[in-house]
This record gives sequence, C-alpha cells and structure tokens, in this order.
Amino acid sequence: MSIKSEFEGGTLIVSTDQRLDTNTAPEAEKVITNAIENGSCNVVMNFSDTDYISSAGLRVILKSAKLLKPKQGIIVLCNANEQITEVLEISGFSGLVKIFNTLDEAMSAFN
Amino acid sequence: MSQPQKILIVDDERFNVNVLVDLLKPNYKIMVAINGQQAIKAAHSSVPPDLILLDIMMPEMDGYEVCQQLKSDPSTKDIPIIFVTAMGQQQDETKGLELGASDYLTKPIVPAIVEARVKTQLALKHTLEELRSAYKLIESQKKRMQTELDVGRDIQLAMVPKIFPQSDDYSVFAILEPAREVGGDFFDVFHIDEERICLVIGDVSGKGVPAALFMAMAKTLIKSRASTDSSTASIVTHVNDELSTDNDGYLFVTLYLCILNTQTGELLTTNAGHNPPLIRTTSGEITALSRLDGPVVAAVEGIAYKEGIFQLNKGDSLLMFTDGVTEADAIDGKFFGDPRLKKIFSTRENVSTKKFVLGLLQQVHDFEGEERQADDITILALDFFGLDLTERKKELELKIKNKLSDIDLVTESFMDFSLSSDIPKQIKGTVCMALDDLLTNIINYAYTDESEHEISIKVSIIDNAVVTVISDEGIPFNPFQQLSPNTDASIDEREIGRLGVYLVKQMFDQVYYQRNIGRNVVTLVKNIREAK
Repeated sequence: MSIKSEFEGGTLIVSTDQRLDTNTAPEAEKVITNAIENGSCNVVMNFSDTDYISSAGLRVILKSAKLLKPKQGIIVLCNANEQITEVLEISGFSGLVKIFNTLDEAMSAFN
Repeated sequence: MSQPQKILIVDDERFNVNVLVDLLKPNYKIMVAINGQQAIKAAHSSVPPDLILLDIMMPEMDGYEVCQQLKSDPSTKDIPIIFVTAMGQQQDETKGLELGASDYLTKPIVPAIVEARVKTQLALKHTLEELRSAYKLIESQKKRMQTELDVGRDIQLAMVPKIFPQSDDYSVFAILEPAREVGGDFFDVFHIDEERICLVIGDVSGKGVPAALFMAMAKTLIKSRASTDSSTASIVTHVNDELSTDNDGYLFVTLYLCILNTQTGELLTTNAGHNPPLIRTTSGEITALSRLDGPVVAAVEGIAYKEGIFQLNKGDSLLMFTDGVTEADAIDGKFFGDPRLKKIFSTRENVSTKKFVLGLLQQVHDFEGEERQADDITILALDFFGLDLTERKKELELKIKNKLSDIDLVTESFMDFSLSSDIPKQIKGTVCMALDDLLTNIINYAYTDESEHEISIKVSIIDNAVVTVISDEGIPFNPFQQLSPNTDASIDEREIGRLGVYLVKQMFDQVYYQRNIGRNVVTLVKNIREAK
C-alpha cells in the first residue's frame, strides 16, 4: 500500500495508490476518516498516481463528502485520468464534488 | 371355400356331359356349354367358373381354340382348364398343356381320377388367389413405406450443409451418403463467431419422416443454443432437455458436438453416446477422443452432460464419423472396423480434406463390394493449420477463490497481460474496474454457504475488442437486470449500492449474462478505439 497523505493548513491531501478499488479503498477511507475526526475540514484527493477507480473508490469519496458536510467542509479531486473522469461523470459524482486538473488548482479552491 | 365352387363342363356330346354332371353335382355348382361359343360366353359371366373341363373335339370351334381365347384374355386367363380328350394321344395332351391348360383327362373317364384332378386344380386356384392378394397388400405397403423413406431422406439431405466455411486457419469438409433404408445421420458445421467454429455429427435412431423431423429439431436447437452458449456441455444438456420432453416416438440421437477455437486450437468436446472421433498429428499418430460425457440425447430428461478440452496443434487433423463407416460390412460378413479406419487416417497422403473424405468414402464402398450400403455414411474432416500457441498470446485465463484479496491477483495478471498488447490505458483501467466491481459482488453475495468456491476469469483480445468472461458457481443472478441507481441525487440522498454494475453497463460496449449449468456467466465486450 502506498497511500500518501499530508496536511497543508487544515486541508488533507491524499494521494491514492495506483488503483482505488475493493482492496485499497479501506485504507484510503481510514486515512480520510481519521483526519476528519481529528479536525480536518477539507480534503483533496490527488489521483496523479492512480490508474483506475472502481465503485469502491466512489464509496470513499461519497462517505468523505457526507462526513464533511456537517462541518461545512468539502472534498475535491484532482489529476483524474480518462478512466477516472469517465467514472465520475457516469456515476453523477462530477455534479457532487469539484474536480480540478492540478493539485495547485485544487488547493486554490479553499482560498 | 364356404360357397360351392363352380365348374364349367364343355362338351358337344350330351352323354359325356351327363356323366360328368352326375359325378360332380353333389360337391360343386355346375354350368354346361355344348359348344365353343357358349363356353367362352359362360367364362365371361358375372359369376365365372372356378374350373373348366373342356372337350377337345367339337364342331366349329374346337377345345384348343377355346383354350387359346380364354388364356389370352386377362379376365379369364386365370381360370384353370382341364382338357378332356378321347384320343389319349400324347401329342394332343402336350398341345393342350402348351396352350395353358392345367391338366388333362382321358376318356373314358374314371370317376376317382376326375374327382382328384378337379379337387387339386380348385385347391391350387384358391391358394394362388390368396397369394395374389397377399402380394398386392405387400406391394402397396412397400410403396407407402418407400414414399415415406424418400421424403425422410429428402428432408435429411436438405438439412446438411453443402458449402463449408473457409479460413486460413483450418479446412473442413464433410459428406453424408444416405442408405437405401436405414438412416438418420446428420452433421453441421458453422461459425459461432469470428474465432470459433462448431462441428456437430449425430445419428438419429429410426428412419423416415419421424427421424428426419427429429433430426431437424436437434440440429436447429443446437445451432440456436450455440449462438449464445459457448459450453458444449451446456448446449447438449439444453438440447437433451428440449428433445426428451414429449418424446412420444421414443427416438434418440447419438451426438458429438465440439467447438474449435480456430485461433488457439482449443477444442471443447461433448460426446453423447457417439463414436469417438480421431485426431491425427502431423507425424501420423492417431488418438481417439474417447471420453464419454453422457448418454444418448433425448433418452433421459434432466441429465447434466460434461465436456472435455483437447488441444489441437498446428497441423493436426480431426476426423468425425458415424457407425456407417466402421460397421460397413462386406459379403464375407467382415466389418470395415476401427483399426482399418485408423490405418487409413494415419497413412493419409498430403491431400485436401475434400479429397481425403471422398477417398475414404470410396474405400468404404470398395470394401462393401456388391453388398448394398446398409446404413448412412457420414464423414467429417477438419485440418487445423493454426499458429503455434506461443506465436500469439491473446488470452488470459485464471481461476481464483471467493476471497476479496484474490481480486488483486486478477487485476495484476490483467495488467501484466495487457503489457504485451496495445490496449489503451483508459481501457485497461475500465476492464480492471469491471473485474473489481463484479468480482466483489460475486464474492460478497453469490454464495449461501461459507465454503470455498472457484471463480474463473478469461480475458481475450478478439477483433480489436477486449472480451472479458467471468463465471461463478453462485446462486443464479443476472446483475444487468438491476435497477439503475439515481445518479442525480444530492450528497445526502446519494446511495452507493448498484453503482459498480451501472458503471460496467455504461462503460462497456456490450454486456451479457447467461446461466449455464450451475454457473453464472457474464461477458463484457469493450471495443478498442483510437484513444481520444
């Protein structure tokens, strides 16, 4: 597993593994849930290293969004490749969360 | 012989007539004619005589002439005639017999001899009549049966293909030669898809129209099922269930069904009571495909047939046939037999499949000699030219257990497999996503017990498309029948269920579900397009 996480201000930046699927999603979910419980209000999911996501990845995004909402926090995504973009569009998630091309653009969303 | 038989006595001498009348009256009905004209008229009466006693020496028209006239007329020719002659000369008797008389008596008559000769002739006539009517009955029955057999044979011959698929990967040819009487052979050769060809050979019990119609049903069922079912076991199981219901005629069929993947040489086979086909390698080595996967088809309902896999290598040939070949018998009672067939196949010269098949048929005929062909003869041969397996690696096949951690094995193997191909990155991701979502569903929901189950996965690249087949032994479940999730809901209302299958449905070009014997089979097709 190589999920990387770092904090910039109150924002958690999670760089997911090569894939975000049934076997890798639980760890990503744990990292994000812990951070939210510890006070983070915003989350950026960085897909720059990720080849594909399945519905297990969508579950992590949805759960994070639901947890953040009462805290007026949001989750945003960046660096999605074509497969991930297609999944987000077809699932309707592109209407639920903001998607940015780069991490810098994503970070600027919180300023 | 309930009614007394009728005898016509012809003589111009009143005295002679009276003697015969007195003698025969107690047992027979008597008619009398005193000249030739009267005799002929009496023979043509509405109730003609059963026997005529005919005097030779009469004025105007003598006995010979009467006999000649009666024998040349179809309506009277069968009435036996006994000449009564006073002359007692050998020559006259001979002349009478030559004209068609049955016997002769010499005057002066001896009562006992007359009675004996009359009795014999009448008995002979009666027997002859019985034989005639029996023969007539047989003839009409035979004609009816032959007509039916002819119709059956016409249906049979109209049903087998005469044009065969052509390819660089293989060559196939088959022939069916119907027997005069017994029959019921059939075969079929057709492509299921670009890669796979289905070969069928069978022998229906029985003959005539019922057998031909049964054959037509079997053939149609096989072909339609094969278009969506890639398992020979499943096809035969299905066909058996269909044919054994309402099988009032108790017909059955021996069947050999195989599906050849013309790219890989994999031959999937199911044998339902048929003669084992033969495989020949380039070196002339012969192997019989002797496994049996179940009983003859249509005999017992609810049988689950099995299937086997045989690997054809470059240059291998397949020979399928019916028992009309091996059980062909010569005049001396010897059979053509398996050893002879194997030897002919083994020493086959480097000729086309057509030439080989026709040559083999000729050898069977030569063996039979003057014997009439007793049973249908069907021969089907296929040469596999396909490339060596190592020359292309277009398929990934693996089996996993129902553990979520095993999914990693699948996605990783697929990534390795796709390295050697030119699948665009996006499609690789989409296939991995589908494998992850569908396998997760199967592992989480398909089993009602806690035991270990096998799931098989096959990914192949066919015609510029990635074809993924996942098969599991879980409870019957068609994922594609699920309702679509609401993709417009807000974060609060949004649920995660059913999204995986929905993504698969939306992102693949074709998705199929099929329930085979005890297995769910899901097939996904993703076309490889130019990357956007």
